[in-house]
Amino acid sequence: MTTRFEEREGVGRIVIDRPDDRINALDPALVQSFGEAIRAARASGVKALIVTSAKKDNFVAGADLDFVRLATDPAPVIEALRAMQRVLDDLATLPATTVAAINGAALGGGCELALACDWRVAADSPAMRIGQPEVQLGLIPAAGGTQRLPRLVGVASALEMILASRRLTARRALRAGLVDEVVHPAALERAATDVARRRPKRKAQGGKTPAERAMTWLAPARRIAIDRARTKAIVESRGLYPAPLKAIEAIEVGLRDGMAAGLETEARLFAELATSDTAHQLIDLLLTTLRQRREAFDDLPAPRPVRLLGIVGAGFMGSGIAQAGAVAGMHVRLRDIDAPAVARGLKTATDLTADAARKGVFDRREAQRIVGRLSGAPDLSGFARADLVIEAVFEEIGLKRRVVSELEAVLRDDAVIASNTSALPIAEVARGARRPGRVVGMHFFSPVHRMPLLEVVAPANGDPAAVATAVAAGEAMGKTVIVVHDAPGFYTTRTLATMMGEAALLLEEGVRIDEVDEAMERFGWPVGPFRLMDEVGLVVGKHVADTVSAGRIGPTPRAVPLLVQAGLQGKRGGAGFYKYEGKKRTPNARVYELLGVSARPPHGDVVERLTLAFVNEAARCLDEGVLRSPAEGDLGAVLGLGFPPYLGGPFRYADANGEALRNSLRRLANALGERFTPADCLRDGRRFYQ
Amino acid sequence: MQTVARPVIVGGFRTPFVRAGTAFAHLDVLDLAKAATGEALARTELDPAIIDEVVYGNVSRPVAYHNLAREIVIALDLPRGIPAYSVGMACASACVAITTAADHIAVGTAEVALAGGAESLSNVPITYSPELARAFVGASQAKTLPQKVTSFAQVRPADLAPVAPGIRETSTGLTMGESAERMAALNGISRAEQDRWALRSHQLAAKGWDDGRLAREVSPVYVEGRAVTMDGHIRRDSTIEKLASLPPVFDRAHGTISAANASPLTDGAATVVLMSEERAKALGYEPIAAIRSYAYAAVDPADQLLIAPAYAIPLALKRARLSLDQIDVIEMHEAFAAQVLSTFKVLEQNGAGHVDEERVNVMGGSIALGHPFGATGARLVTTLANELRRRGARYGLASACAAGGNGAAIVLENLAA
Repeated sequence: MTTRFEEREGVGRIVIDRPDDRINALDPALVQSFGEAIRAARASGVKALIVTSAKKDNFVAGADLDFVRLATDPAPVIEALRAMQRVLDDLATLPATTVAAINGAALGGGCELALACDWRVAADSPAMRIGQPEVQLGLIPAAGGTQRLPRLVGVASALEMILASRRLTARRALRAGLVDEVVHPAALERAATDVARRRPKRKAQGGKTPAERAMTWLAPARRIAIDRARTKAIVESRGLYPAPLKAIEAIEVGLRDGMAAGLETEARLFAELATSDTAHQLIDLLLTTLRQRREAFDDLPAPRPVRLLGIVGAGFMGSGIAQAGAVAGMHVRLRDIDAPAVARGLKTATDLTADAARKGVFDRREAQRIVGRLSGAPDLSGFARADLVIEAVFEEIGLKRRVVSELEAVLRDDAVIASNTSALPIAEVARGARRPGRVVGMHFFSPVHRMPLLEVVAPANGDPAAVATAVAAGEAMGKTVIVVHDAPGFYTTRTLATMMGEAALLLEEGVRIDEVDEAMERFGWPVGPFRLMDEVGLVVGKHVADTVSAGRIGPTPRAVPLLVQAGLQGKRGGAGFYKYEGKKRTPNARVYELLGVSARPPHGDVVERLTLAFVNEAARCLDEGVLRSPAEGDLGAVLGLGFPPYLGGPFRYADANGEALRNSLRRLANALGERFTPADCLRDGRRFYQ
Repeated sequence: MQTVARPVIVGGFRTPFVRAGTAFAHLDVLDLAKAATGEALARTELDPAIIDEVVYGNVSRPVAYHNLAREIVIALDLPRGIPAYSVGMACASACVAITTAADHIAVGTAEVALAGGAESLSNVPITYSPELARAFVGASQAKTLPQKVTSFAQVRPADLAPVAPGIRETSTGLTMGESAERMAALNGISRAEQDRWALRSHQLAAKGWDDGRLAREVSPVYVEGRAVTMDGHIRRDSTIEKLASLPPVFDRAHGTISAANASPLTDGAATVVLMSEERAKALGYEPIAAIRSYAYAAVDPADQLLIAPAYAIPLALKRARLSLDQIDVIEMHEAFAAQVLSTFKVLEQNGAGHVDEERVNVMGGSIALGHPFGATGARLVTTLANELRRRGARYGLASACAAGGNGAAIVLENLAA
């Protein structure tokens, strides 16, 4: 079928139906057929019209990103946007009362389509999400989203929703005034029809309360909201991500100079962004992430279902994983050494759930169900039926082996044991196990509820079904899962440690601590390497470095061992690479003393050297088969470590820089040693992505 | 219906029992029931998918929902297809839950059942007076504002006072304590005898914890980052002199019942996992004990309110084809020391036999452990089953008296003895 107009008992219906697809994604063909349906509605003279979707749990999921991701010339982009804007103007100016019956995701262009209707009725279903998440992709709403959203919910709310790329649940959208009614999915069409019949056309108010309306319509008040948003956007984007500022500009122009000017501005700004590398990288990253849901299972057998998840170790990590499991619908049994430790772990998980409910991730009743699935004990009671057990005890090989052996005494033979180690080789953890094949690695990142990556480690003799089960459990927890092979530090810890080691070598040459960190943060890392080491803790950092560096080429950095020896622990101990007094952080002069160097400006490019150390190590992981694919390497670096997303990850970065990157590596290899010799896969000049 | 299966107990667990208004003050009765039931499931490693029903007892009913048992199923996210219902017989409610489930197993309408009870005396529902409640209902049904206002016309200031749940027997107007005073007088139970029984209860309860027997059947409850692991009432420092020094509370002039020889107001829950013997064996469980027989009896509340166990016990023994001296261990609910000692006396008077005190409440009773009304029956049965097993003894008896003149008795059999 295709998008069509129908009339039944005086009520018109436009059914959006992208041919031969599970979901409605906007492309020029769909926009055109939607435009024709609107013309048919106008010609029919109906006084009431509902706009609905033929897809299950999906209204309109947004634009077809393949279209944007290949755009290099702004002109056709602007043309396509103007066409979409005209169609939505047509919808907005129909004489009929128009109602969007939103049965599922109404994102991006889907949200804008709904905004062009007079009223919006949403289904109370978990699949229902509405919002303008374009900024996350380095784009802005450009089918009237920057214009109609502030006019509906007020400028302050609209800025918040657009800049944070919010995807609102039905209830949240109702509270925000973005939808007008929330009904059971089965009653959606009837409710929308009733609204279309009974209610008049509507003029957008600019917010629900007088204060919101004043903020939207009175220039001085609006100025405050816009300035505040702009200041925040500048700080957060560090000048690396232009989309937030462009979104603000389009909103500002539209409210100041009128809708027509606003529409023209958003189309122009969108086209600028859509033809930029940043947007292309961010879109590719999203598409890669989506594809990974399927590709994570490449070469793996079917996973076993996880109904009962056991967690050993109720610390921050363990309780975070427990909570993620309960959110995913698993029953979770949390074990720690004594009842007070269990109590603290359960409280952490309960608090995380309450926080998420407050933020609208799920509703209060769902939060109760999630907490109802969590229990704990100071022993392994309740573990006999567990399908998967994740240990998150202290990073000590002896302890981990003991946990594995205790688990084997109570678990079913087909239950999977996963170690949440960040560096210890899984084969070592599994040594001595009765059934070593079922021991895999599940390397979560902290804090678990916020970090989107899971690195599953498949040991050489691992049972592929156990690996698949770990992957499926991670995906159920909402994580993007990469599968890597077993080696010290796996992929993520190894590349990060290599870059950190290089930073420590810079320090030994006298480069200033804060200079390195600031340069890396300006480049787009969330925190610089020394700040990160202080956050993680130097003892843990040393442990990781020792594990990872065994058998690696190049000089062994001295800084961390020296600091640990001198009793410096990092942030928690009050001093590490920095000294911490209250909120103040100053570079620790003691570090230079210990290293016997004096601080001096760097020669050469700090960022280039550290980035290339990272990229080259990532490439070695691919050479050695630690990584299965460049895509997994990019996802791991960006989602797990904070590799600057606008660069797309180490392999996309290598593709983008090609010959220049190889030359730089050779130059660094000559100057600093063979650790910079290009990895095999970098040397041959083949692209990682086509 | 014909009996097709023997009901057995494969596990029982309870929360710690703590004084109302203390560690569990902020937990709803459902939180407690959830904790006990969740732990019973985890600690028996039971697959929730095979549960046929949940039967739960509770006395002070919450107003937010009407069927606690079903709320447990939903709150623990057990399979939604498990039917569940709540039962009540005041302080013998969990006994009713257990025997009901046992009956269903016996006739084959269930194979795996959870039974238990819970009580939060920290959170008793306070209601409106009937006059005010009628006015609210009237107002909610009225169509216009004047009609709504008129609904309240009959309400007098006195009607605005909240009403706490009943503690007096409706037929006699006496409180439980006053009724127990009457029993003490009728049966000639002295203050000293009562205090001795109370002291014994505390000492045996402390011993039960010290040697690990009670810890095995009590699962911690985790409240706001703290673990509650121990019962809260047990007085290890109690002496007969200290007990004697306490004033009587129900009859201040002539009474014998003090705060110390009566059971305290308590929060807690207990759940027992029951199966048919056949199913238990098929699943690899070793039954702790079988339910051999049970009986309920009732007396005129105006006579001796809490004496009904003295009539239920001989009946249950008769149904079990056993005599009192064949019973190795007895778990008897201690509402009051006076009630326990009265029961012994009346049993003997009626020719049911002499009770050997040494076999009664060997890990203390409700006076020391506490008495969450709805849960006590499940505690009695759990402790009894475990102790039979531990001793290698064959027969055990649990009994509980209840408001309204009801009494329950359950006979367990250790199949391994």
